[in-house]
Amino acid sequence: MKLLKGDFLELQNFSVNDGDGIRTTVFFAGCPLMCEWCANPEGFTSAPKIAYYEDLCVKCGACVPVCPQNIGIDLNSMEARGACNACGECVKACETGARRPLVHSYTVEEVLKIIERQAIFYRYSKGGVTFSGGEATRQVSVLKALVDVLYDQGISLSIETSGYFQFEKVAPILQKMDLIFVDIKHMDAQIHFDYTGVSNQMILDNIVKMNTLKIPVVIRIPVINGVNADVENIRQTAIFVKKTLDLPQIELLPYHAFGNEKYRALGMKTPSEHFSSPDADQITALEEVIRAEGVHIVSYK
Amino acid sequence: MLTERIENARQQYINNKPSISYDRAKIWTESHMKTEGEAVPIRRAKAFRDTCEELTVNIFEGELIVGAVGEHRRCGILTPEFSWTWVDREMDNFSNRVQDPYVITTSQKSYIRKHIFPYWKGKSLEEAFLSQLPKETAKVVVDTGFVDNDSKWRQAVGEITPDYEGVLFKKGFGGIIEDAKIALSKLSRTDAEDLKKREFYESIILTSQGIIRLAERYSEKAKEVAARESSKTRCAELIKISEVCAKVPKNPPSTFYEAIQFVWFTQLGGILSENPLALNPGRFDQYMYPYYRTDIDNGIMTDNEIQELIESYWLKLSEWVWTISANTAEFFAGYNQFQNLTVGGKTREGKDATNELSYMCLRATERVKTHQPGLSVRIHQDCPKSFLDEVTHLVSKGTGFPAIHNDTVGYQMLLNAGYEPDDARDWSNCGCVVPHFRKTSEWTSAVNINFTAALEFALNEGKSRLLGETIGLDEKKPHQFLDYEEVEVAFYKQFDYLIEQSVIATLLAQKLHKEMVPRPFLSSCMEECLVSGKDLVDCGAKYNIGPVLTGIGLAVTANSLAVIKKLVFEEQSVSMKTLMHAIEVNWEGYETLRQQAINVPKYGNDDDYVDDIARKIANYYYKTCHQYKDINGNAFNTAFMGISNYLPTGKVLGATPCGRKAKEPLSEGVSPVAGSDTSTPLSAMRSAAKINQDVHSGGTLLNLRLNEELVNTKRGQSNLGAMIQTFFALGGFHVQFNTISTETLLEAQEKPEQYKDLLVRVAGYSTQFVNLSKSMQDAIIARTAHKTY
Repeated sequence: MKLLKGDFLELQNFSVNDGDGIRTTVFFAGCPLMCEWCANPEGFTSAPKIAYYEDLCVKCGACVPVCPQNIGIDLNSMEARGACNACGECVKACETGARRPLVHSYTVEEVLKIIERQAIFYRYSKGGVTFSGGEATRQVSVLKALVDVLYDQGISLSIETSGYFQFEKVAPILQKMDLIFVDIKHMDAQIHFDYTGVSNQMILDNIVKMNTLKIPVVIRIPVINGVNADVENIRQTAIFVKKTLDLPQIELLPYHAFGNEKYRALGMKTPSEHFSSPDADQITALEEVIRAEGVHIVSYK
Repeated sequence: MLTERIENARQQYINNKPSISYDRAKIWTESHMKTEGEAVPIRRAKAFRDTCEELTVNIFEGELIVGAVGEHRRCGILTPEFSWTWVDREMDNFSNRVQDPYVITTSQKSYIRKHIFPYWKGKSLEEAFLSQLPKETAKVVVDTGFVDNDSKWRQAVGEITPDYEGVLFKKGFGGIIEDAKIALSKLSRTDAEDLKKREFYESIILTSQGIIRLAERYSEKAKEVAARESSKTRCAELIKISEVCAKVPKNPPSTFYEAIQFVWFTQLGGILSENPLALNPGRFDQYMYPYYRTDIDNGIMTDNEIQELIESYWLKLSEWVWTISANTAEFFAGYNQFQNLTVGGKTREGKDATNELSYMCLRATERVKTHQPGLSVRIHQDCPKSFLDEVTHLVSKGTGFPAIHNDTVGYQMLLNAGYEPDDARDWSNCGCVVPHFRKTSEWTSAVNINFTAALEFALNEGKSRLLGETIGLDEKKPHQFLDYEEVEVAFYKQFDYLIEQSVIATLLAQKLHKEMVPRPFLSSCMEECLVSGKDLVDCGAKYNIGPVLTGIGLAVTANSLAVIKKLVFEEQSVSMKTLMHAIEVNWEGYETLRQQAINVPKYGNDDDYVDDIARKIANYYYKTCHQYKDINGNAFNTAFMGISNYLPTGKVLGATPCGRKAKEPLSEGVSPVAGSDTSTPLSAMRSAAKINQDVHSGGTLLNLRLNEELVNTKRGQSNLGAMIQTFFALGGFHVQFNTISTETLLEAQEKPEQYKDLLVRVAGYSTQFVNLSKSMQDAIIARTAHKTY
């Protein structure tokens, strides 16, 4: 187990919106979906990536001589990104934190050590650990190793998943969860495919299977104007949830553009400006639509 | 909803600048002119009695609780017997000084200069202190910002909690007089020991007569005003006031109304006697509860009426102001009087102590938003969820209140200081975050010691960087240090020296307090003084605890040592010479190096690399201070508390290796440097808890800023409650939160007139944001606001 390594984004301690209490969210790198609005673009793949935050850079040039690829200060040009293999030499040379790795390779033990320092906060808040991503189930053996240890420690566990995985492989892990969050980004298979690169069929099938585990499931909808915020889509989602889950519940997560800085730091194109955040009235109205179908609205705010 | 009367008073409180009254100083001075040659305690007691006899008696519009320190509703008084030269120097600038301005008229000033100050020339505590202080010590401690104890020679001590349970509510001041007379009759004229006791009992008879007389005058005044009052309701109120003041504080109270007026008269007596800081109401919810219960059970008062009385009292505590020098005001910013009122916790027997009044006190602060009392709560591990919810709810309102304390650690701190377990369990706060007990005489804020100054001297051949003068001990050039251990040794050498100078200054101040400013009125509020026949200054209290030396800049110092350790000696990426040059020129032209320094682990992020350094300094501090004994033979104590002292102590220092620029603030208490706790508040808590808090019996302080969104839901507040309990399980003693958004604070800076009632916590206490100087406001804005994702 000691040698088992996984690829992760920055772990988030003091996470309070992904389950009960105070939690640590473990973000796995790599995802089968490529949602155009994703707030964690560094997690699309599990490959190491170096971010370059231009506003932190003092242009001292310390990163230049150490780079085996001869990339200059600006890491975010197309050519530079093509040449960079994320060896991390520039990160070591940078004194200001302008160069930062966004994907980390940790052993299971290292992750457990971080969690151990936080565990006392879970105890008092009835919190625990949430696995997220990227897509946690993508690295199933690492996830399993973590879950098995933490489950035995009596720590409350939840997972936030895209729902896109082979159910039989993941089921033993899901059985150890106290709560499962799964996204339905769109009810229309084609639109789902257009925006995420995959069809929603496997996801919807898996939600049906999850219901058999008798573990609470919360369906999350990232509500994005211009993608899925129309009443009809939300209604269809609610109908599906009502029909599928014994305890039907939905949480609406209004889209935000906080991830845009990361897109820029990775030299990536930021999400379309046509995506916008729904306002509070719109969310209230959508929640009414959902309730009308007999589905509970939940919130972890 | 506030009642109209409370809202009116609140508006006056937030809109009026405090004015100076010289009434008290005038009467005090005239009295002293008449008593030359008499014993010091008698002279002070007579001055107090005369003040009570002659002071202007005013009942302000709509007041239910009466008694004022002077002719103005928001009013500060002068105590020239402690110090006057700074007033003489500064009063022309009182109205326009940056921090804590006061209104004073030209005719007031000329009267004071003509009739009051000349008498005190050469007679004040300040002058005695300055003329007797060794020159070498003066260089370090007088208005330097390196070591500061001016509140102990320019001001009275305060730092006391009247003993309502033990004596005042049992006997009333009338009963105290009777007891003193009996004690006097038993004294022998031929017994040398009885000589001082005679003076003591005579002095407390005088002060007790004084406070009774003051109440009687209010009773008469109320009757007189009632006769002229056209409103029937108000007339009835005034007659009630007249009855209450006729009864208390001469007699024990029998209703809640009488009890709360008693408490205010006692507070007023304390203020008139010495204009103190930290005159604490103590465990208000405990000693007032029997009266609350009786009144409610017998239908004498309703909850709403009691709530209104509590709010009236909150305003009374806030209306008078502590008159202090510009220097002191930098250390204790925001018109703060540090009257600490503690609710919740456990009873002497160890049961949960929360009751209806505990909740009503929290609500009063939420509703009237006054900066006083300094509202503290004691939270134990089995604290009712509903009480913790009420506490986090108040936190979410962004007032900075309450100060939240760990019941268990407070108890341990008192046990370590030598208290009996029952008394230790009965603790309340003194001033800001000092665990304390009502039967105690102590100096809880004797000296502020600037830790980072010690580091500056160590790295600069004993000299102050900004003054260029030698203040510390001689030291070799910094690049001659061969390893990190040598740097540490040099730091501790200067640190020892600052502690030694603090002790010298304190011993002298203590000696002079005994000789010059005994405290008959406040001694009469202390059961054991009355039994032993000894004043507080002569150790009459049940407990006499050694003075507390407060450490400032722990985080900056640890962060700076970590930078030297890592960059200069471990990584050797910069030479000591270069680093020293960079801070000498205030990082000018060394931005890359400064960033490198900023990226070295910082205290407050749960990183043992630097936290271990902080812990080591804190342990060393305790051990070193504890070896010294004060004038009564009690060991000195340590604290990491706040006040606003991290600003003036920062102003006198050059840049520091941690990346801090010259004159920037230091860090407060056991808090991280503002803005450097970039991980999570949980990590900041874990770092703070690494300091062994229970040995620093003068109190420790952790300030955190939380984004308001984090606590604006019930669920967020529950999580905050869990966070607090976790910090306490880790051994933390105190935590307090500011939860106002940065945007709101910036807006308040721009439009102060719209944010007059915006309370923020400074350090261990809260005050109006608009009453802080610009630099203080900026420092508050700079504290990291913790968000989550």
